[in-house]
Amino acid sequence: MTGYRASINGVEVDAATGWRLTWLEPATGAVRLTDGTTVITAVVEGAGEEWWVTLRGRRIGVTVRSWRERTLAQAEAASGTHAGPTEVKATLPGLVVTLEVTEGTEVVEDQPLLTLEAMKMQNEVRAPRAGRVTRVAVAAGQAVATGQLLVRIE
Amino acid sequence: MAPPFRRLLVANRGEIAIRIIRACRELGIESVAIHSDVDATALHVEMADRAVGVGPRQASESYLNIGAVVAAALESGAEAVHPGYGFLSENAAFARAVLEAGLVWIGPPPATQEALGNKLAARRSVVAAGVPIVPGLVVALGGDDDPDLASVGFPAMLKAAAGGGGRGMRRVDDPAQLAELVPSASREAAAAFGDGTLYLERLISPARHVEVQLLGDRHGALACLGERDCSIQRRHQKLIEETPSPAVTPAIRAALFESARRVAGTVEFSNAATVEFLLDADGNHYFLEMNTRLQVEHGVTELATGIDLVAWQIRIAAGEPLPPDLLDVEPRGHAIEARVYAEDPYAGFRPVGGAVTAWRLPQGPGVRVDAAVKPGLELTPEYDPLLAKVMVHAADRPAAVARLRRALDEMVVGGLQTDLGFHRWLVDHPGFATGDYHTGLITESWGEGPELGREEVALAAFAAIEGREAKPASSVDHRPPSDWARGDSAWGRLARREAVGE
Repeated sequence: MTGYRASINGVEVDAATGWRLTWLEPATGAVRLTDGTTVITAVVEGAGEEWWVTLRGRRIGVTVRSWRERTLAQAEAASGTHAGPTEVKATLPGLVVTLEVTEGTEVVEDQPLLTLEAMKMQNEVRAPRAGRVTRVAVAAGQAVATGQLLVRIE
Repeated sequence: MAPPFRRLLVANRGEIAIRIIRACRELGIESVAIHSDVDATALHVEMADRAVGVGPRQASESYLNIGAVVAAALESGAEAVHPGYGFLSENAAFARAVLEAGLVWIGPPPATQEALGNKLAARRSVVAAGVPIVPGLVVALGGDDDPDLASVGFPAMLKAAAGGGGRGMRRVDDPAQLAELVPSASREAAAAFGDGTLYLERLISPARHVEVQLLGDRHGALACLGERDCSIQRRHQKLIEETPSPAVTPAIRAALFESARRVAGTVEFSNAATVEFLLDADGNHYFLEMNTRLQVEHGVTELATGIDLVAWQIRIAAGEPLPPDLLDVEPRGHAIEARVYAEDPYAGFRPVGGAVTAWRLPQGPGVRVDAAVKPGLELTPEYDPLLAKVMVHAADRPAAVARLRRALDEMVVGGLQTDLGFHRWLVDHPGFATGDYHTGLITESWGEGPELGREEVALAAFAAIEGREAKPASSVDHRPPSDWARGDSAWGRLARREAVGE
């Protein structure tokens, strides 16, 4: 055994037993899963620790770690602090339509920060937690890419 | 039979462009595709007989660029223009430009588009024709007429006078909320339709969204080709359509058809058209709007009637009369369509970006898929995130639901989250299975989707570990989706380039 363990949403989970996986399209990750009676066509994609498994249309993020990687991750978690600034990033590419806050604005959790237009839809970006806006990294009318910093809250 | 036209320009992209190209091929018409820069190698371009570039990625500069599209039609020697749905299909200025260029417009006269495009004017003329409308205003909010808000009845829906598709729509529980809701709704409507005018309609709840498919020729004949139930919606946009509607009895159908014919009588049109209604729990119907173009969901009507709506749009535009057997057609069996979108149903149906990797389509008896995806396709944020329309046809509704379940199980999409997981859940939902559902189903029963089940979790863990342990060497180069999330993609680079004003 390689000692790999999987976790989903940060919780370590047990892998199903009695199932068999066959690669249908190694290039795309399409697979056939069967326990001898049920057959499911799924997609398995990823590399390193981060994997995605699409089961019956649902794409599930799975972290797969060896014993060594788990130990390292635990050590990192123990030394890190969870206070400090929160960076609000764009979850999809789009255009900043309106800005509701400026640097220095005190916000409560869920307060609208800005409106992002993407895929012809207006999406309100809200504060993930209460705090003070210490940085507004974008301007109205600006195009942003996925993962781009929008606002920092401390 | 001689082809109705020698060459036809398809003023659209994606699956609907391919749908029209297929109709052209069957009719012996040469098809001309248009494309933006990023679509130069898109499937609709590959499939057309010829293709013309009409501008850069931004739709406003390419697919919505009236001058460039008309020039492409003239340059390619096309005789007629089919607009599909969306883009310029309801733009009277485009229809007028096509006609003024001496080309045949596969759609209604521009004056009809203008009359129907104004929802308030349409509401007034439909009332005059004796058709019930959703109670509410027939004049603009904030206009000179100072509407009587108390007569609307609350809760109500705020709607854009110039548009549909859910944009600019807001639920209003109390008139006091209007001050807060009107600015953003008006801004959204102005951005989508170029006109921020709003009005109010009473909220009918629970309600079903039922529409009647019409086909009219240039000689006064009008066919009613059955209804479609489009009540499974998110953000007031359709995800599932079926025909016949499980809620429509023969008596309701007769009333719907009579109203649809009366609405059609208020305008001059020859083309495919749809009259949309709300149906309340007592079986009363209320006119919503009429679209004189092809609808996204036209395919289920084609499956149930055997009539090629796109081919007939073209033949009607060439002056052909509708034959008697088409006017009397009786739909057979039951047809359902599931729209597969690049969006995350577990996060409020938020659009997702990325590239499609695995792409396996369902096949077999009674299954039709209209799609325009090539594996590796990088989605472009400006364009509609519709990936495929999975349609099934069977002898009755239970058989059609079973066939849809089977088709969904055959379909595999990798690289990004789609709404397939929602559709797979829906076909097992008791309300959907019995046909007893309404437009609130997603909000009331789905929310953000069910929690992951114990078996799903265990199976995903098994598959991911197998993936890490045993993924064949040929996939070493496989790019994890997180690359895209970091913006390390053509899309991300493009957006960054725009951000710095290059």
